[in-house]
Amino acid sequence: MVCSLGMWKSTLSVLILTIDIVGVGLFAGAQTPQELVEDGMRKQQAGDLTGAVNDYREFLKLRPEATAIHSNLGAALAGLGRFNEAVVEYKTALRQAPGLPGARLNLALAYYKMGRISEAAVELAKVQREDPANVQAVLLLGDCYLRMGQNKDVVRVLEPEEARHPDDMAIAYLLGTALIRDKQVEKGQVLVDRILRNGDSAEAHLMMGTAKMTIQDFAGARDEFARAAALNPNLPEVHVLYGRALHLTGDSDQAVQEFKKELALDPYNFEANLQLGANAREEQTYEDAMQYFSRALETRPGDPGVRYQLAVIDLDQGRLEPARRQLESLVKESPDFTEAHVSLSIVYYRLKRPADGKRERDIVEKLTAEAQAKQPGVKAQ
Amino acid sequence: MMLTRREWIWLASGLGAMQFVDRAGFCAASEPLFLEIPPSSSGIDWVHENAMSPSHYLPETLGPGCAFLDFDNDGWMDIFLVNSGPCDFWKPSKLVRNALYKNNRDGTFTDVTEKAGVSGAYFGMGVAVGDYDNDGWPDLFVTAYGRCILYRNNHDGTFTDVTDKAGLATPGWTTSAVWFDYDGDGRLDLFVCSFVDYAGVRKLECGNNKIGRNYYCVPRIFKSTPSFLYHNNGDGTFTDVSKGTAIATALGKGLGVVATDINNDGRLDLFVANDTVQNFLFVNRGPGSSGNWNWEEIALQAGVGFSESGRPRSGMGVDAADIEGSGWQDLFVANIDHEMFSLYRNNRDETFRDVAQGNGVSRATRLLSGWGLKYFDYDNDGATDLMLANGHPDDMIDSYSMQVKYKEPLLLFHQEQDHKLRDVSEDAGPVFHKDFAARGLAVGDFDNDGRLDVLVGNNGGSPLLLRNNAAKGNHWLGLRLEGTQSNRDAIGAKISWSAGGKLRQRLKSNGGSYLSSHDPREVLGLDSATHIDELEIHWPAPSKQVENFKNLAGDRYIHVVEGKGIVQSSSTPKASNSYQS
Repeated sequence: MVCSLGMWKSTLSVLILTIDIVGVGLFAGAQTPQELVEDGMRKQQAGDLTGAVNDYREFLKLRPEATAIHSNLGAALAGLGRFNEAVVEYKTALRQAPGLPGARLNLALAYYKMGRISEAAVELAKVQREDPANVQAVLLLGDCYLRMGQNKDVVRVLEPEEARHPDDMAIAYLLGTALIRDKQVEKGQVLVDRILRNGDSAEAHLMMGTAKMTIQDFAGARDEFARAAALNPNLPEVHVLYGRALHLTGDSDQAVQEFKKELALDPYNFEANLQLGANAREEQTYEDAMQYFSRALETRPGDPGVRYQLAVIDLDQGRLEPARRQLESLVKESPDFTEAHVSLSIVYYRLKRPADGKRERDIVEKLTAEAQAKQPGVKAQ
Repeated sequence: MMLTRREWIWLASGLGAMQFVDRAGFCAASEPLFLEIPPSSSGIDWVHENAMSPSHYLPETLGPGCAFLDFDNDGWMDIFLVNSGPCDFWKPSKLVRNALYKNNRDGTFTDVTEKAGVSGAYFGMGVAVGDYDNDGWPDLFVTAYGRCILYRNNHDGTFTDVTDKAGLATPGWTTSAVWFDYDGDGRLDLFVCSFVDYAGVRKLECGNNKIGRNYYCVPRIFKSTPSFLYHNNGDGTFTDVSKGTAIATALGKGLGVVATDINNDGRLDLFVANDTVQNFLFVNRGPGSSGNWNWEEIALQAGVGFSESGRPRSGMGVDAADIEGSGWQDLFVANIDHEMFSLYRNNRDETFRDVAQGNGVSRATRLLSGWGLKYFDYDNDGATDLMLANGHPDDMIDSYSMQVKYKEPLLLFHQEQDHKLRDVSEDAGPVFHKDFAARGLAVGDFDNDGRLDVLVGNNGGSPLLLRNNAAKGNHWLGLRLEGTQSNRDAIGAKISWSAGGKLRQRLKSNGGSYLSSHDPREVLGLDSATHIDELEIHWPAPSKQVENFKNLAGDRYIHVVEGKGIVQSSSTPKASNSYQS
């Protein structure tokens, strides 16, 4: 399959609407249930998803073991944006029939749409194992890994695809971006050049911008991202990257606008949620911050950086016990997380536990000294 | 000419804005808030020698400091400028010296350095001015990479280096210093910031940067050091009393310090900005049971040690003032680019909250590196404003950063009715559109017009003298406080005044900025009121006495002596007890 990046983005939408409506011949003899299923399928195909959901649910009360209908119900619910319920139905279907065609990909898509990227990646990896020729699944898997910051995994899954589909701009874009982020700039540059040959494309500017970010040419990156956003404002991540570059070059207001534009396209974009959350926390609009961070956490469950931000909000707002619990958990998982030790020390002092506060403070001093001792850039004359 | 309705509304709204601007301290477009006085006018032709070399030794980029002081007691602020000098990595091929400029009382200055004997002998950094011997004449403490110098004022236009006799031959690399009376015995003690341990690794250079040349090492690679606290023994000597206290055990990389009272207990505390490690807030807990003075370092738990995200930053300049009129001292610390500067609001429980973002300070300073800074009421409207001197320490930063420049603009913030600081630099005058490698910043009224002027020390360049035009139309009262039982400079005094129906207060803290020292007088802004209804002075320990004055006419300086009241009043201060040159 050869597709442009725009096509790839559309593919996601098409996939979620590719409803695997399975026939229910086994109910041919049972008049009432059969009518319910046929009615539901007719409604689903006609776009009456709420009606279809009602019919399927009625049917499943009578025949809960009907695997295919659970899958159909999941698709109808997903079409309504009721992804949590859809996930339940897809899981039921897969539990009953692990090899049910399309159900796992639909489950992955539901997770993806909910921003539960890591769970989507797990399901997509299974799809890829079961059906290595499914390019859509591989492409989506690569995108998930990219969003999770797992650049090496992007390279692992997309390099073979890129060899098979050298003209696929979506693959070139994802793989090129991952290579540049993984500091394999020369290999990434090859893919940038390939995209550049296709003319003044948004994808090319996005990749050039990403490359400039890696060498800390933030102003150059900002200009590339601005051009990319102008050429294709629907390009995935274009606004979040433009926002980051704006932030780093001092234009915080415009950066916030770009992060918000990204969220309008992709409500679960991790970086946009993280940045807007951090900005809201700085401005002490804590409800907004909590919303952004919660969404970021849905995308990357357990992400230490987001959990730290949530703990600091608790600290800022005087909710010392929740802050303590979260921070203790973080430093237990990551003993070298200096910032968490700093905040935990503050929490202990405010909880009137000076001995614990001092212990954490001593850890901070030790970690700081260790970090400073490792500083590069010095040579003897 | 006929105006359309739209044009008329636009013009009318513009007029409205101009009226507002005037109240906020702006002037008409033709008159800048601060006017640059060129060396050709001021006579200040001294230039800082930064000793910049291909090796890029770090001390080259940290100076210089500067000061306003009245060394000859004629009632007019003179100027002291610190220069580099010989050290273990640099032997100057020409004469390099500090500069003392006497104020000629006509807007010009005369270089009297040689006669005064304050040329210096080491790689100078900063200066702290204080009357440590309570003789009524300001003395100078000059910090350096190499060795500090204490210059005692001889009352005849000359100074004597009494460093060794005083016991202040502080080793290493010292930066900012502050005179203050920590134990309330009526004598000024001295805190000296120590930067990094550079002696042992002085020949280390930082390797190739992106353009293949050496650059100034980030201080992160150098070891932290303890700062020094010296107790004034009252006989011209000092004793290092930091040993056995938190001051000695807190290893930092001190660059800026302010002595203030963060918890309103009447004892002066110390806020120290450290570079690449956490800041320190030494709270003065009074005499300890072990014989040592009790200092508690609480920056981390107070929320001023690290960034809001728990990271140490590159703290450089600091200051303290009661910004919101709450009666509690707020803090400020300037950091390097992208780290954000912090405006710490006092929570009144020995903790602080960074409110820089809400004040627009973060946005204005995101790409800047701040050094000298001062909270002061530049337009005499009674509310404290803020000025910042900026510049990146790496002279090659322009070569590999698209956003950050070596030379950076000054910033001026005006405090609005809602107590928020608003960046007014854009409209403050041409000098705010120029870039400088600024370091030290001192505030003082060199022309005795009641409007506080500014002096900026530029690394490797001429100092910048700015005359204040902003406060025209607003009234003021200048106070020269003289302690008799308390320290002669009255550091630690609390001043409250009511004028035009508004009650305001100020703590006479000391230090602040970076490497610099300020006019010791306090100028109280009265806004449109022509006189002060009531003035109250709370003298610091040991007397702690309170004196009240009523119905004081404005637009003049008054000399108030502890226990004696107002001893002199003049629209233009007359020389008293000054030597005849």
